[in-house]
Amino acid sequence: MIELFFKPKSVAVIGASGTPGKLGYVIVKNILDSDFAGDVYPVNPKSDEILGYKVYRSVTEIPGDVDLVVTALPTPKLTVATMEACAQKGVKAVIIESAGFAEMGGEGKVFQQQIVDIARENNIRVMGPNCSGIVSRNIVTSIYPMTKKVPDGNVVLIGQSGLLAAGMASDIVENESLNISHVCSFGNKCDLNENDLLEYFGNEDDVDVISMYLETVSDGRNLTRIAKKAAAKKPVIFLSGGRTEAGAKAAMSHTGSIASNAKIVEAAVKQTGMIMADDFTELKDFAKVFSTQPLPRGNRVAVITLAGSVGVNVSDLCAAHGLELPKLTPETTEKLKDMFDTPVGNPVDLYYSVTKIGFTKTLETTFPDAFRDPNIDAAVVILAGFKYTQEAVQKKIIQKIVREVGKPVVVCMIVGYNKYKNVIMDEMGKELPVFPSLISGVKALSKLCQYGMRKQSS
Amino acid sequence: MTGPEIIKSARAEKRTVLTEIEAKTILGEIGINCTPTILASSKEQAVATSHEIGYPVVLKISSKDITHKSDAGGVKVNLANKGEVEQAWDEIMASCRGAYPDADIEGVAVQAMAEMGTEVIMGMIKDPSFGPVVMFGLGGVLVEVLKDVSFRIVPIDKNDAVEMCGEIKGKKLLEGYRGQDPADVACLQDMLVTLSDFVDRTPGIEEIDMNPVFAYKAGAAVVDARIILSAE
Repeated sequence: MIELFFKPKSVAVIGASGTPGKLGYVIVKNILDSDFAGDVYPVNPKSDEILGYKVYRSVTEIPGDVDLVVTALPTPKLTVATMEACAQKGVKAVIIESAGFAEMGGEGKVFQQQIVDIARENNIRVMGPNCSGIVSRNIVTSIYPMTKKVPDGNVVLIGQSGLLAAGMASDIVENESLNISHVCSFGNKCDLNENDLLEYFGNEDDVDVISMYLETVSDGRNLTRIAKKAAAKKPVIFLSGGRTEAGAKAAMSHTGSIASNAKIVEAAVKQTGMIMADDFTELKDFAKVFSTQPLPRGNRVAVITLAGSVGVNVSDLCAAHGLELPKLTPETTEKLKDMFDTPVGNPVDLYYSVTKIGFTKTLETTFPDAFRDPNIDAAVVILAGFKYTQEAVQKKIIQKIVREVGKPVVVCMIVGYNKYKNVIMDEMGKELPVFPSLISGVKALSKLCQYGMRKQSS
Repeated sequence: MTGPEIIKSARAEKRTVLTEIEAKTILGEIGINCTPTILASSKEQAVATSHEIGYPVVLKISSKDITHKSDAGGVKVNLANKGEVEQAWDEIMASCRGAYPDADIEGVAVQAMAEMGTEVIMGMIKDPSFGPVVMFGLGGVLVEVLKDVSFRIVPIDKNDAVEMCGEIKGKKLLEGYRGQDPADVACLQDMLVTLSDFVDRTPGIEEIDMNPVFAYKAGAAVVDARIILSAE
């Protein structure tokens, strides 16, 4: 039944509007601009036609079946009435985007309960209220105008925040090289919650990475069970907001006084094999690495750099995040000795090789030799944004080597990121994780290594 | 009384806090090693029991109404002979009667002075969302100040227990720091799994505290324990 939300054959938009700028207009426009191929039924008692679609006065007047209803009505009372109409029509999936429910307290809580009651009685699944639903290539229900199509990616982003599926989704699609396929916000989760979605996407073969943002855990026992299963199959990246002492009580035991919501959530993340992110940027950064790179066998990293100082800094960061920098084997060192004036170490400073054979050639020969070394499981490649970097980037040298060798790489940019951002994003970003800072690349790689090692030991 | 009987009778008395002796009986029954603890309801009995257990002994107030025993002056340790036991009895009674005039005092719990080991804490609480959760950490100051503890959601398996013991910052102390005996970490891991299995199959338990637990080169012993039942 969850599938009805993501792959409906027909969708009705209640509160649809013909006035550009209004929420009810944006939703219809977003659906129109997506790849949605089914029937679209705008519902509005006062219009006849919106964006070329015939408008219905009520959901019960729609002639065919309605798989999914999206509502953005101005008052909770109207939303409750719509739920009743949906029940009458036999609709099984409803996205309620309007706010003014339990998050407001008081009367809002009562309205939300009425919606839940109608849903339970009629076997309807509800996403929301106070959310912006789904942003995917197949369907966009968000109230934020999308200017680009969602890519056909392998990353799913789910969470409570409406902003997530609205602003953040469109920002990712427009400005970031993240292979997103779905962004989904479920707001107050009066019915459908993270466990439903985690289970659904955990079983979807074309989803490789799940990123999740939660402010409240609906059912932690179930989350632990479901996340364990999902994380065994694919990486689940988890950002927990609102890690406060709320819900803590006057404990009588030592254990009780030390336990906090944050600690318990952290424990659940470790126990289930999920990957903890500390902010929204990490939620995306980690997804970028996991969705593009092969899993490493271990945590032994080669640092490949053009500048000694940066190599030193990265080495420190690697050590702080549980990554080892082993020596290269004597065979590799011997092989590379002509390219270096000094014995090649780790960090591998490509500067000498570049002066001898040029940047592109170095990336094609010296770097892969070090990367292939049996002591090495993964590499941090530090690039500076120069003209010759652009050339190497456009030739997709690193991507080819990653594919060939089967080990993961993160690319950290030190200078020239802004200048070459577009080139790097367009040419490299969808296949290689590129980071504007050393720490972000190292942290993401360390999570990849942890997950890779955990997967092998289980 | 057996564990289920203890819980049943506490329920009948509308009581959620079990006494130390009750808690240790329950834990001992599931296979967790606790220092032997026997109730003495008179001064004479306390002396006789101390002889039986062997000196030195510890006396602790046993009352369903006094949960924070030390705060009430209800604990005397390292008592070496009859005279010290008698004096301790008098002092404990005077102090506890003073602090809790209405408390129903059943006597003192007499227990053997456990051989010192590495001090650890194990516990269980019920989280509103995640349900029962087990905790492990180093005892004493480290738990009070640094809160250097690890949690896992019940049920845990051996692997989780291994991770719990491995992820506390003070794990070096378990490995035998500066000539101290290393702790029997495998035994601690088994205790955690046993604790998890117990709370998983026993509804109605709100909190469990085993603090301190002395970990030895071989084995470990629960020195003090507390069990709190959920309010019904």
